Amino acid sequence: MNAISFTDVTKRYGDVLAVDGLDLEVPAGSTVALLGPNGAGKSTSINMLLGLLRPSAGEIRVFGEPPETAVAHGEIGAMLQEGELIPELTVAETVDFVRRLYPNPLPREEILRLADLTELAGRRANRLSGGQTQRVRFALAVAGGPRLLLLDEPTAAMDVESRRTFWENMRRYAAQGRTILFATHYLEEADENSDRVVVIARGRVVADGTAAEIKAGVAGQTVSFRLGDQPAAGLESLPGTTGVELQAGRVTLRTTDLDSTVEALYRKTTLDVRDLQVHGADLEDAFLALTKES
Amino acid sequence: MTHYLKVEVLRMLRNKRYVIFVVAFPLGFYLLYSNLWGAQTDETTGIKGSVLLMVNMAAYGALASSVMSTAVPWAQERHSGWLRQLQITPLPAWAILATKLVASLLLVLPALVLVGLAAVLTQHVSLPAGQWAGLLAFMWIGTIPFVALGLAIGSMLRPDTAQPVAMISMFGLALLGGLWFPTSLMPEAMRNVARVLPSYDYAGIGWRIVAGQAPYGPDVAGIVAWAVALGAVAVFVYRRAVVRA
Repeated sequence: MNAISFTDVTKRYGDVLAVDGLDLEVPAGSTVALLGPNGAGKSTSINMLLGLLRPSAGEIRVFGEPPETAVAHGEIGAMLQEGELIPELTVAETVDFVRRLYPNPLPREEILRLADLTELAGRRANRLSGGQTQRVRFALAVAGGPRLLLLDEPTAAMDVESRRTFWENMRRYAAQGRTILFATHYLEEADENSDRVVVIARGRVVADGTAAEIKAGVAGQTVSFRLGDQPAAGLESLPGTTGVELQAGRVTLRTTDLDSTVEALYRKTTLDVRDLQVHGADLEDAFLALTKES
Repeated sequence: MTHYLKVEVLRMLRNKRYVIFVVAFPLGFYLLYSNLWGAQTDETTGIKGSVLLMVNMAAYGALASSVMSTAVPWAQERHSGWLRQLQITPLPAWAILATKLVASLLLVLPALVLVGLAAVLTQHVSLPAGQWAGLLAFMWIGTIPFVALGLAIGSMLRPDTAQPVAMISMFGLALLGGLWFPTSLMPEAMRNVARVLPSYDYAGIGWRIVAGQAPYGPDVAGIVAWAVALGAVAVFVYRRAVVRA
């Protein structure tokens, strides 16, 4: 069964197209990273999954139900980008309040443990640091024991150490067979913490697969050499070539088939190829290639 | 729901600003004024100063509590993302508004009861049991228009604008309603404005009850009309504030 399905979903704000015909299915039990630059439509998609925004067109289902129904049934928990707590309440009181709103919540002690809050249970929210507040917000997201957990750039305000612990905690929750979708613009986070990376740009899915597949499949590798004053025309039609960039007399070819591209470069062109360099692409390159304004 | 109510009441009782403005202020002023003028008798109504001041300060406390426990906290919750946190739980949207209304009504009680107790203990005010019951019941339920006003302010304005607007509304209503000094001392124009305000009706009914008279019809009609009108506005702007775009 799919935990999430988007069918040709579009969201418009006036003239701005935030989500543009998005199709996405997430099977129950998987951990998926929604990777994309700012403005790609990640938050809009998450807010639509929560019923906080309505799609302009298309259909969204969460465990086969419309988002509002899934929220009312306590199927979804979420950590949104911003959100303060009630300053006068303690951590334990806040957690307890939210968990009681759900039909099948986790036990309070377990929630506190999952978010590393056991020692802060008695502290009032207005005396928490930024990182501690984030942990409480994670606790609130899991409090109801939701089958689907949505995290919108959850580590944005965290330092390196807090991030590490945060992802450990998330993985502990995922290990209970829950479905997790998290939005991020950090590549390493997507790579290290998900089974599947969905790259979105300009409101569309531009790549979908494991981090390794995305690295291998889309960007492949690059070949660069000094072109000088020679014409660059025709380079884009070399076998395997997916992109050509020219900068300061140096040309960079992006290729999915390095051997054919290099062979053709020497045999099928009359160019004087100097200072040839080959790079294996990393996820960063893949990401930039995928999300670049086309 | 009942737990949500408990949480709402608890957090306001922990809020220093609330306690100072709503509980300490009316109580302190009652003790001060009743010492000065408690023994006098009001010429127009024949009510003893200590009793009249009790009604006025309890009314001020109740009015302040109704507006203070709703407008700014609610504006902050909307603004800080706490509302969205609630919207993504199974809690239905109407339950948030209903809980705020009930919590605010409950939070009116400390001011009413404490000012009443101070009147009994320090000024030896005594009223027939029926009058006590009627006064307390009316002064409690009569705060509905003020709660509705506070909730409407909280739904419409950002916290930094809700704060001064709530303060001005609260003091304006208290002052013009005759809670701080009698409306008979006001200039004609001001008195005409005062007469149409819910706080004027609210205080007026309280005075009639302690004078042993039945509430004056137009006062009752006035406060009911205000409760309906402000209640409708509060519901309307609330729906707009929580709407899904």
